[in-house]
Amino acid sequence: MRQVSEQEVLRVDGARKSFRTPESGVVTPLDGITLSIRNNEFLTLLGPSGCGKTTLLKTIAGFEELDEGEIFLEGRAMSAVPAHRRPFNTVFQNYALFPHMTVAGNVGYGLQVAGVKRAEETARVTDVLRLVGLSGLERRKPAQLSGGQQQRVALARALINRPRVLLLDESLSALDRKLRQSMQIELKNLQNTVGITFIFVTHDQEEALTMSDRIAVMDKGRILQLGTPAEIYDTPKNRFVAGFIGTSNIFSGTLAKDGGTSRVDIEGGPAIAVTADGFASGDKVDVMLRPEHFALASGRTGAGGSLDAVIENIVFVGTDLHLHGRLANGLPVVALERHARGAGALSLAPGQTVTLHYQATAPHLMKSQAA
Amino acid sequence: MAERSTISSQRRKALFVLLTPITLLLGAFFLIPLGIMVVYSFLEPGLYGGVVWSFYPYNYGRIFGWPLGGGEEFEPLYIQIILNSLYYAALTVIVTLVVCYPVAFWVSRMGPLAKNIVLFAITLPFFANLLVRIYAWLLLLRPTGAVNTALLSLGIIDQPLNMIFTEFAVIVGLVYVLTPFMFLPIYASVERLDWSLVQASQDLGATPFQTFRRVILPLTAPGIAGGCVIVFIPALGNFIVPSFLGGSKVQMTGNVIERQFLQARNWPFGSTLAMIVMASVLLLVLAYTLWMRRAANNERLAGAGHV
Ligand SMILES: Nc1ncnc2c1ncn2[C@@H]1O[C@H](COP(=O)(O)OP(=O)(O)OP(=O)(O)O)[C@@H](O)[C@H]1O
Ligand SMILES: [Mg+2]
Repeated sequence: MRQVSEQEVLRVDGARKSFRTPESGVVTPLDGITLSIRNNEFLTLLGPSGCGKTTLLKTIAGFEELDEGEIFLEGRAMSAVPAHRRPFNTVFQNYALFPHMTVAGNVGYGLQVAGVKRAEETARVTDVLRLVGLSGLERRKPAQLSGGQQQRVALARALINRPRVLLLDESLSALDRKLRQSMQIELKNLQNTVGITFIFVTHDQEEALTMSDRIAVMDKGRILQLGTPAEIYDTPKNRFVAGFIGTSNIFSGTLAKDGGTSRVDIEGGPAIAVTADGFASGDKVDVMLRPEHFALASGRTGAGGSLDAVIENIVFVGTDLHLHGRLANGLPVVALERHARGAGALSLAPGQTVTLHYQATAPHLMKSQAA
Repeated sequence: MAERSTISSQRRKALFVLLTPITLLLGAFFLIPLGIMVVYSFLEPGLYGGVVWSFYPYNYGRIFGWPLGGGEEFEPLYIQIILNSLYYAALTVIVTLVVCYPVAFWVSRMGPLAKNIVLFAITLPFFANLLVRIYAWLLLLRPTGAVNTALLSLGIIDQPLNMIFTEFAVIVGLVYVLTPFMFLPIYASVERLDWSLVQASQDLGATPFQTFRRVILPLTAPGIAGGCVIVFIPALGNFIVPSFLGGSKVQMTGNVIERQFLQARNWPFGSTLAMIVMASVLLLVLAYTLWMRRAANNERLAGAGHV
């Protein structure tokens, strides 16, 4: 089984980059980014559109120069190394396939310019096209392919070089669900067998959570949090990260410590029982409760609490029911119940008042960003 | 089968209506004179200008050596002049290409203001009369002209260079007149070049030279070809530049044709020479069209590219 070693392969150190825009403003897509990428790891960059993900990949690949900072590959500074000498390959967000070459020509390009023998090139092109499921399309031109097929050509073209680091910019976004899942598996297989390190950009949370060894959540040119998918999901650092991954209920309030117990008093509403290590009484905080932390039945074992909510909407998503409701003070809340059939079925209807129970360990406290 | 008005048949009708006026116009102003020229080239020249209406293929014989008759003699001079003209035209194409190709890249990378200024400057000569502009070169290149005066006073030369009325002066003139025609199509294709393809090439490990040869050159080739054709054709037929800057030493087919029509008043022989120039141009355009059809295929494919 693969081991992501602790050994660092790529290091982005204090990267800063600004652009002058035609509106005579300045955007700073990289605002002091420091990031250490471990050998053979699958690192995902996640963030809203325009936060600088593509710019970060471009500076790593060598198409943009940094204003400040440096990129190191195994300790070697990269700023003086031109793009074509960097052992990275990119799958571009817009594919950038060569329109005048066939699929085979595009995919084989990296081998041709490296002077690989014709026979070997053909064999490897055939292999990698089979891998991405495009066998038989060797002689098509890019424009004769669907969007998803073009994307897979771009992927194949980058993979064939067996780069040290593969940069993927939303490279599965145009594929249907089934194809996307099979490509995800192939990428993970490649990570395991060939030992490629991946830096992956996606807007798909589920993809980020399932594929990644670590996720970096970015906003406005900064990395807000870097951690394993579980860390990001369970213990987001702030409201932004919590809101960006998964569905969450986030309440702002003031922490009150009262002997052994702590609670957060939500403005104009109920109090939420919490465990509050590392916070002091009186701190302004945000409390996060994931929908699945609520239970309608109070089958709790330890300490905990409950919130009363009026159901406004019930959304059936197959395995689960999403209950959209409101607390007494008007704040929206989402809870999740497992869907059951027959005798176990819940008899819920909009307008009904329910009690949502949670365990004391469930609420996650975050420093309030307003403070 | 029932008659159906399909979209494509409607479109064809609309196209027909729209194209009829231009077709008639072209027919009247292009095909008829061409037809006259073809016919004239096979007629006998009249004694005092004009033509005698009898079949007379010997105009061609005078140039190619066959068929001869009617008192015409084979004059190898004309083949020499045609070859010379082809050579000058080709040289003009090469010089303008070598100048314009890198400049097009340079200009395409400029800021919007600088770019507009340069493009304006390149089209500026069109606003002045060609004769005036050629005459200016006469002043520049003659022994007492600006270039010689400058070089002499700088001490680089101690004898005025003999530039005017030479092959060199003709090439300079042709290059000067035709540079915009080379620049604009090349610039258009460079401007359309998708730089992310260049990045993709670098990303895959291609050296700058490999990127140029395998990506940049093929994608800008249509512009190069277009520029070459529209420089070659007027260069081949030009008679103003050689008659002003070439003097009596440099003869191009354009001059000879002009003289046949206006001085010798031998219209049939002038037509014959013109036919030969046109045939060589036609061959070139044919090759270009065939080649473009292939390129357009690629282009169409490229256009439908990204989603
Ligand atoms: N060449 C440029 N000139 C000016 N501004 C630029 C340039 N390239 C990017 N930007 C700006 O930098 C910011 C970050 O762009 P970037 O492409 O890195 O975003 P992104 O995170 O990849 O977004 P998306 O998820 O939409 O792809 C954007 O605001 C963008 O407008
Ligand atoms: Mg992007």
